[in-house]
Parts: sequence; structure tokens; C-alpha cells
Amino acid sequence: MSLELMDEPISQGQKGTFVRLVKYMGPHKGRVALALLLLGGATAADVLQPILVKVFLDRYLIPRHFPESHLILLGAAYLLLVLLTAGLNVLQLLIFQTLALDIIQTLRVELFDKIQTLALEFFDQTPVGVLVARITNDTQAILDMFMTVMSTFVQNIVVVMGVMGGMFALDPRLAVYCLLIIPVMGLVMWAYQKVSSPVFRIVRQRNAIINAKLNESLQGMAIIQAMRQERRLRREFGDVNEAYRQIRYRNTQINGLMLRPLVDTISLFALIVVLAFYGTQSFFHHINVGILFAFVTYLSRLFEPFNNMMDRLNFFQQAMVSAERVFQILDNPSRRPESAGDERPSIARGEVRFEDVSFSYDGETDVLKHLSFVAKPGQTVAIVGHTGSGKSTTINLLMRFYPVERGRITIDGHDLQSFSEDEIRAKMGLVLQDPFLFVGDITSNVRLGNEELDDQAVREAAQFVQADQFIDRLAEGYQAPIGERGATLSTGQRQLLSFARTMVRQPTILVLDEATASVDTETEDQIQESLRKMRHGRTTIAIAHRLSTIQDADLILVLHHGEVVERGTHQELLAKRGLYHKMYLLQGGLKESAVGQ
Amino acid sequence: MRVFAELMWFFKAHRRDYAVGVLFIIMGSALSLVPPAVVGVVINHLTNHTMTWRFLLAALGVIFGTAAVRYGTGYLWRVRVFGGSIRLATEIRDKLYAHFTKLSPEFYHHHRIGDLMAHATNDVQAIQETAGSGVLTLVDSITMGAMVVATMAITISWKLTVICLLPLPLMAFAVTRYGRMLHDRFMVAQAAFSDINDRVQEYVSGIRVVRAFGQEQWERRTFVDLSRDVVQKNVAVAKIDALFDPTISVIVGLSYFLAVAVGAVFVVQKTMNLGNLTAFTLYLGELIWPMLAFGFLFNTVERGSASWDRVKTLLAIEPTVVNRPEALLATPSGGIRFDIDTFRYPESDRLVLENIHLYVPEGSTLGIVGRTGTGKTTLMRLLLREFDLKNGDISIGGTSIYDVELEALRSAIAYAPQDDFLFSMSIHGNIAFQNPDASLSEVERVARLADVHDDIVRFQDGYETVVGERGVTLSGGQKQRVSIARALLQDAEILLLDDTLSAVDARTEATILGALKETRQGRTTLIATHRLSAVEHADQIIVLEDGCIVERGAHEELLRQDGRYAEMWGRQQLESLVEQGGAAL
Repeated sequence: MSLELMDEPISQGQKGTFVRLVKYMGPHKGRVALALLLLGGATAADVLQPILVKVFLDRYLIPRHFPESHLILLGAAYLLLVLLTAGLNVLQLLIFQTLALDIIQTLRVELFDKIQTLALEFFDQTPVGVLVARITNDTQAILDMFMTVMSTFVQNIVVVMGVMGGMFALDPRLAVYCLLIIPVMGLVMWAYQKVSSPVFRIVRQRNAIINAKLNESLQGMAIIQAMRQERRLRREFGDVNEAYRQIRYRNTQINGLMLRPLVDTISLFALIVVLAFYGTQSFFHHINVGILFAFVTYLSRLFEPFNNMMDRLNFFQQAMVSAERVFQILDNPSRRPESAGDERPSIARGEVRFEDVSFSYDGETDVLKHLSFVAKPGQTVAIVGHTGSGKSTTINLLMRFYPVERGRITIDGHDLQSFSEDEIRAKMGLVLQDPFLFVGDITSNVRLGNEELDDQAVREAAQFVQADQFIDRLAEGYQAPIGERGATLSTGQRQLLSFARTMVRQPTILVLDEATASVDTETEDQIQESLRKMRHGRTTIAIAHRLSTIQDADLILVLHHGEVVERGTHQELLAKRGLYHKMYLLQGGLKESAVGQ
Repeated sequence: MRVFAELMWFFKAHRRDYAVGVLFIIMGSALSLVPPAVVGVVINHLTNHTMTWRFLLAALGVIFGTAAVRYGTGYLWRVRVFGGSIRLATEIRDKLYAHFTKLSPEFYHHHRIGDLMAHATNDVQAIQETAGSGVLTLVDSITMGAMVVATMAITISWKLTVICLLPLPLMAFAVTRYGRMLHDRFMVAQAAFSDINDRVQEYVSGIRVVRAFGQEQWERRTFVDLSRDVVQKNVAVAKIDALFDPTISVIVGLSYFLAVAVGAVFVVQKTMNLGNLTAFTLYLGELIWPMLAFGFLFNTVERGSASWDRVKTLLAIEPTVVNRPEALLATPSGGIRFDIDTFRYPESDRLVLENIHLYVPEGSTLGIVGRTGTGKTTLMRLLLREFDLKNGDISIGGTSIYDVELEALRSAIAYAPQDDFLFSMSIHGNIAFQNPDASLSEVERVARLADVHDDIVRFQDGYETVVGERGVTLSGGQKQRVSIARALLQDAEILLLDDTLSAVDARTEATILGALKETRQGRTTLIATHRLSAVEHADQIIVLEDGCIVERGAHEELLRQDGRYAEMWGRQQLESLVEQGGAAL
């Protein structure tokens, strides 16, 4: 069932994809020209060698005429040509390869830049693994195409042309016959591509199925074993494995029929033609044996390029599939919200106002309905509610992660859209529920790429949020390495560090998404203390899970299914004896149920 | 070369294929000696003006015949030898897969899936190459090399042969050396590639932080640097790669030069004629391939034997949970008794369970509650024999679970695990995972019991809807209910629900539990849960804390005890009030 679904996108317009790829060579015209020039030189030097041998045979050896200086000159020229061929080839190969690498660098950076401009929805909808594969693996496959396919083709075509040129120089009449080889080989290549490419496509698909099946079985092994399905899955795996073997075998058969054995056969036929030509000629004219020698040598060089090209044809196909996927991302129309209008106000006082804001992620169900509130400069507005009530969406909109489509959010009276990206990021400090840490050290995680922040600033921020206590206890202090996702630190420590990185930027507006995970009591106290200090003198929009932390909030909004169901201060809400009251009781525990009334 | 001996079992099993393949390789090599000889003779006739029509036709006929036969042999050995190597890879993959299905969970604690995948793909590929092109190059370079050299030495001139061969060992040397350098540098480049992979992975995972802190420019610089590093390391690879062919062409050019120069001297001395000289240079051309192949051979075999060693090591790992000798075949039935003194996971010091002594009568329901990490799941995994107890015993109907065969034990138990893993196949296939032949009506029946039928029929393809990355993404609650349906299809005497109702709402939970109660009368059910409402009606409830039973009894009893259970119950009652309260307001 799932097998058919593993199908690759049927490539439409492979030509368009190819042309688009070739355009990436545009800026490197000079280097391409130089490489081609060197290649031409190398090929010419290579093609000249048999001609020197021919001269030696016909002019000196056969007439038994040996002027020493001529022979030394001839020998030296031959050896020089050998070295020249090799030297020029090294250079042109290197240029072609670095050129391919540079093109891929350009493509990768372009892709990365594109991803930076995509809206967050794109990241929500695309699995991380898929996106990573586009940026790295697919570009690598395209690299193969530039490196092996294109350069192989260019080089071998030049070699074929050079050898043909040599043949014409030796004997134009015979060379005309040999010219026939090119359409014959072209036909063989075309036929091979025609026959092998569908098979090769199935090879890749079945290989992907095997890998997917294996990966999935390894992940679900516990269930497979608990349900005693080992035998069945072994059989199923055996089936896909056998199907893969059969198609690989098929591929081998095609290669055996159409690649090297066929090319070798054609080359022997060409030899027959050459021998027949000279053999017949010899009955009527005198034959220069040297020419025959050189011709036979050329023939032996003419076919290897075709072998090389045909070996690479399958890479081309793979690269086109990858290129199509990469271009799909590059052509993705989704854009992150951007500044609009000409005015670029700055955030000075920090007054946040939501005016009748509604929002839907999928365009069907509203996760936020008619939300309105005002946070005056320095005030704290707390949002409470259960999972899915719309708390996180409120923050996503305020941070301009998603565009406000209905209603309006203003800061200091200016529409959120009018601010520059830098202004928003500099003045609005977000503390995320999941304090995502990057591989690096403590300092780099506080700085987060802002190199203007010196060590002193980092230290002060850490002290301010009281993260310095645990940092000082670490052996390497502020240089202590942080592993993947901050696994070396406790949840509380990660939390404090994420405070520090927000505070080091001294934001005017603080946006808090309080962590749900409980941490040990000692750190918990520190976190609460730090939060109080952080909020002091700043407009704060906080999602709170612990009601104890927001008792002094100026306004508390209780969200339920995207709507504000209660609003007021702590005391006012308790007096209402509604949802907030119940939540408060719940969190305080049964025993303190009398508190606050 | 040891790897060839170690793969002998395979070569022996397919000796006909390999015998025929090797024979044809040798035949092909021998045939490739014919055309140069013919060319030599033709040239001699031309220089001596002794060419006749008959001779010419005969010569061309010989070449034509050679071409035809060589095409046949070339095709046949490829199909036999490469076909054989593909078969070998298939067999090894099958072996590995079968082995993976036998290994116990302990193995999967120690091995990352990515690494196991690499064994089954890259290592198998390397072994395949050894058995394919490795065998070819071994046979071909030896026989072809020997035959060409012998022909040159015997039929033309041994002196010239020796002289012209002088530079050729350089080629084998260069190829081996470049091959190794390429390999090393390639590894370095791969490491750089994997760095950028990790970095992108991190960037994408932390995209919200990146955007919130306006880190984009810095991220871009880091990415550009890493990407440039990849390029530089690949340039290092390209430098060797670019040397490869030109080096060979210099060595070959040198050999040719020697052949023509020294050969000319011999021709003047009349110890050789021109035809022989031409044939000689053609033979020289035939020698390039065996020499190259010899160089490649070392690298192929080196990689192949390292891979084979890794695969062998993996295949040698024994499963830790196995059938004991004289284990019973009959499916156990009856009440479950846990007598666990202590349990630790292998290679861990932490006590996970301690002093669990408990009897679950046949047909009753046991509730297991407690915080995360207190041993609820472990208890179920021990019953399933994912791990074996060292201190203590578990029995079903008076028979120790260690005295029955694994198959028999597991057929008595249906399990809905905490991690609601579904396979990327149709929903039908997932529910009928344990019995793929189950009818649609049966699948629908259990889907209704698990209260997921209505959700399923709303999908466009109903029960044929494919789940997972390539299909529909189910919500956590839907996945859990499919996983329950999957367990119910087994219709076993014992049902284990390991926190499988955590993502469904209270009403659905009640519906499912009600349906279970009705259909599973007289059969035993174990429910581990965070949410106490799921075990409210259980006959017996145990509260676990740090691997010990701290409270036990029925719901009412436990409430009366006013301990942990009562505290949790009160808290959760309020929580559900809040859940519903907003709507009520």
C-alpha cells in the first residue's frame, strides 16, 4: 500500500530544471572559459602524441634514417607533450571541480536565505528532517551532477572532438567513415537512457522503501515483538528486499547488454572498418604504416569517453529530482510578516494594545476570537487558561511570528506592522516556554549572535537573573560547553539562562511564556525572584501557569477556547468565584482553599 | 583478502554462478588478446606487401568472431558475478533484518537506529562491491595481466616487455596511494558535511528563538562559514581526484615512449618487425586496466572487510530474552502473580522496582497509578518479558512466565503501549497489525470499542487512509485510540493499557472504559495511568512511588486512607472542573 506512495514526484519540465541549473554557471563565465581553454590544450597535446609516433615511424624508422638531433628533439617533444597533457588536465579538472563546489555554495546560501524569509507555517508543516535533507543532501546530489555529469560530458566531448580532429589530420577519407561512430554512439546512449532510466528510477524507489521499512521496523520493534509479528515482517521485508534485488538484477542486465560490452563490440567493428579500408587500399596504393598505427591508437582512445559518459547518465537523473525539490523551496511563495508602510517608529514607552484581534491558523477554526486589551507602559498583563485556549497564539501574533489579519495590534499607538524587524527584536524580549539552547557555551547562548554584547554585559545579565550562581559553580564558568539542546543543564538552569539572554538585550517590553515543567524548589524560588526583577519597570505580557506568580498583575485575562471569559485583577477575579477562582484553588491545593477569600 | 575466505560460504552456495562467471571473465580476457595480434599480422603483411584478399577477409572474420563472442562473455560474467553480489547483499540484509527482530529491547537501548541503518545500507553496499567488482578485479587483473604479459614476452619480445613494464608498478602504487588519500580526505569532508547537517538541524528546530532574537544575520554567517568549510574540504578531495587520471596518463605515456623508442632499436637490429611493434603497443594498452584494477582492488577489499567485520559483530550479538529449554507451548491462563524483589535495568544501578508482591485474580482489573518514572511501564514490560527478572518471579495461572515460550506468553497478552507508535500503512493495516487477515467488520468492531470509528470514517479514504509522514497526521488522541483498537483486535485474555488514554478527553475515556468493561468480562485488564478517573472502577489499585507500592486497595478504600491517592484525586477533580467550567460560564 505505502509502496506506491513512495513514488518520486514525476518530473515535469526536466529541461526547465536543467536550464535553471546551468544558469548558475553564468557568473563564472571566465573560469568556465579558462577551464575549457586548458581542456582544449590538454586534448590537443594528447592528440598530437600518436602523430609524433607516426612521423617517427614513417619518416625515420621505416626509411632507416636516424639523424640524432632530430630523434632527440622528437623524443623530447613526445615526453613534453605527455607532461603537458597531464599538467593541463590537472589544472582543468581542478577548475571544473572547484567551480562546481562554488556553485553549490551559492545555491546553498541562496536556499538558506530563502528559508530565513519563509513564514513560520512553513516550518510547522515541514518535518525537520525533510528540510535539512533539502539544504544538505539534495544540494549534494546537484553537486554530483555538476562535478561528474557536466564536467565528464564536457571533457569527454572535447576528447572525442580532439581525437576526430587527429583522425582528419591523418587521413580525411578514413576519418569520414569514422565520423559514423558518433551518431552510432549517440544512438546507443539515447537507447540506454531510454531503457535504463525507468528501471533506475524503480531501483531508487525500492531502495527508499527498504530503508523506510527498516527504519520503521527498528522504531516499532517493541510492538512487533509484543504482537508476535516478527515472522510476518521478516516475510514482508524479504519481499521488498527480493523486489529490490530483482530490479537491481534487471539493471545489471541492461548495463551488461548496453554499456561496456556493447561499446567494446562497436570499437572492434570500427577496427574492422579501418583494417578493411587499409587492406583494400594496399592492393592499389602504397600504405604508410605509421598512419595505420596512429589510426589504430586513436580508435582505442575514442571509445573510453563514451563509456565514461554512459556511466554517469544515471547521476543526471537523480540530480534533476533533487534540483526540482530544491527549486520548489526556492519558489515557495510563503513570506514571514514584514514591515509595511514608510514610517519606522521606535518603541519608547511600551504601551501594548490589542484591538479586536481574531486569528486562525488553518482558515477554518478561530483559535483567537475578538481579543482586546491594553497594557500601559510598565504594566503586567497576565494571560491564563488551559492548553489550546489561545495563549500561545497571542504571543505569536505580538512577536509578529504570524501576520495579524483581523483586528489590530499597536505599540505606542503605532501599528505593529510599521516597526522594523530590528526594532521589534531589540525592544521586545521573549522568554520561551521551551528554553531552546544551541550547541556552544554559556556566553554564546546568552549572546545569541549579537557580537556587540561583551563579556561584561553577559555577566551582568546573568547576575541580574541570578544565573551567575550556578554558572560560577561550573568548572569552565561562562565558557562551559553546552551540548545538543542543552542536555548538560537542568531544566531550571536552562530557564535561568534563557532569562539572561532576554535581559542582556534590555527590552522595553517583556513577553513571557512561562514554563510548565516543574523544577526543583531551590531553582524555582530563584526563577520567581528573577521574574519579579525582570518585570520591574517593563511592560510585560505573560502567559502564566502558576497563578502565584501573577497575583500582582495589573490585568489578568482568562482565556477559554480563544475567548476572554474573565478579566480583572487577582482580587476582582477571586471575588467573581468563577473559573479563575477554581484554578487558583486547584493550584493552591485543597488545604489552602480558604486563602484569598 | 581474508574477506574473500570469509565470504566463501556464499561463493560455495552459488558456486555455479561464480564458476561460470570467473570462467567467462578469463575467456573475455583471453579474447582481448586476439585483435592486437591480428593487427600486428596485418601490418606485417602490409609492410611486406604480402597482403591477399583471402588473408584480409580471414583477419577481419577473426576480429568479428572475437567481437561477437566477447560481447556474449562480457554480458554473461556481469550478470553472474554482479548478479551474485546483489544476491549476497540481499541475503545479508535479510539476515540482519531477521536478527534485528530477534534482539531484545536491551539491544535497542545501546544502539542508535541511525547506526543500525548505516550497517544495513553502507556496510552491505561495501560488501556487495567486494563480492562484485572485488571478485572481477581480482580475477581480471591477475589472469588478464598474466596473459598479456606472457603474450608480449613470448610472442614478441621478453626484453621489450621487461623494459616497458618498469614504469607500470608505479601506477598500481599511485592508484593505491591516491585511493587511500582520497578516502581519508573524503572522510574529513564527510565530517564537515555532517557538521553543517547538525547545524541546519539545530537552526530549524530552534527557528522560534532565532526569529525572536533577530539572530538571522549571525546564523547566516555561521551557515556560510560552515558551508565554505565543506567546500574547502571537498576541494582537498578534488585536488587528489584531479591528480588521478593525469598521473596514470604520464606513466602510460612513459611506457609507450619506452616501447616505441626501444622497440625501434630492436626493429633496426632486426630482432623485431614493425607489425610486432604495433601489436606490442596495443597490448600495452590492454595492460592499463589490470594495473588500475589491482590498485582499486586493495581499496575495495579494505573497505569491504571492515564492513563485513562490523556486520559480523552485529550478527554475533545474542538476544538476552530467550526461550528456556523445556518451555511450555501452551498459552498461559489465569490470575497474575507478581513477586518482584528488586529490578534494575541492565547496566544501570538504579532500582526501578522493589518489593512488588501482588496478585491480580483472573477477570479483574488492576489500576497502576503514580508519577512518571515510578515503574508503571516497567511492570508491564516485565510481564511481556521485554526484560527478564533476576530477583523474583511472575506467574500466570500458577505457571511462571519463564517456563512458557515467548510466543505463547505474548499471545496471552494484548498491549497498548505508552508510546503510541503507528506504522506508515493504512489505518486498517495498523488496527489489524496482529492479524492481517482480520475482516473489515472485525476491524470496525474494535475501532468502535476504542471510540475511533467515527474519526476514521471522516477521513477521505476511511480505513484505507495511510498514516504517517506520507499520509494523514493523526492527533495524539486518535493515535492512542487506534493503538487501543489494535490491542483489542488480539482478543487476548490479558489486556495492558499503558497510559493510553492520556490524550483523550474525559468523556471519550469514559466511553472506552465502559465498552471495555462490557466486552471484556471475565478477562484481566491492567491499566497504568496518570489520570485517576481511568482506574476509578478498577477492582484493585496500586500507587507506585520510586518503584515501591505505597498504597493499595479499591478506589473508595484509598479515598478513605486520605493519602497520596486521595490528594491526587482531589486535585484532578478540580482540574476537570476547570476544563469544563469555562464552557459552563
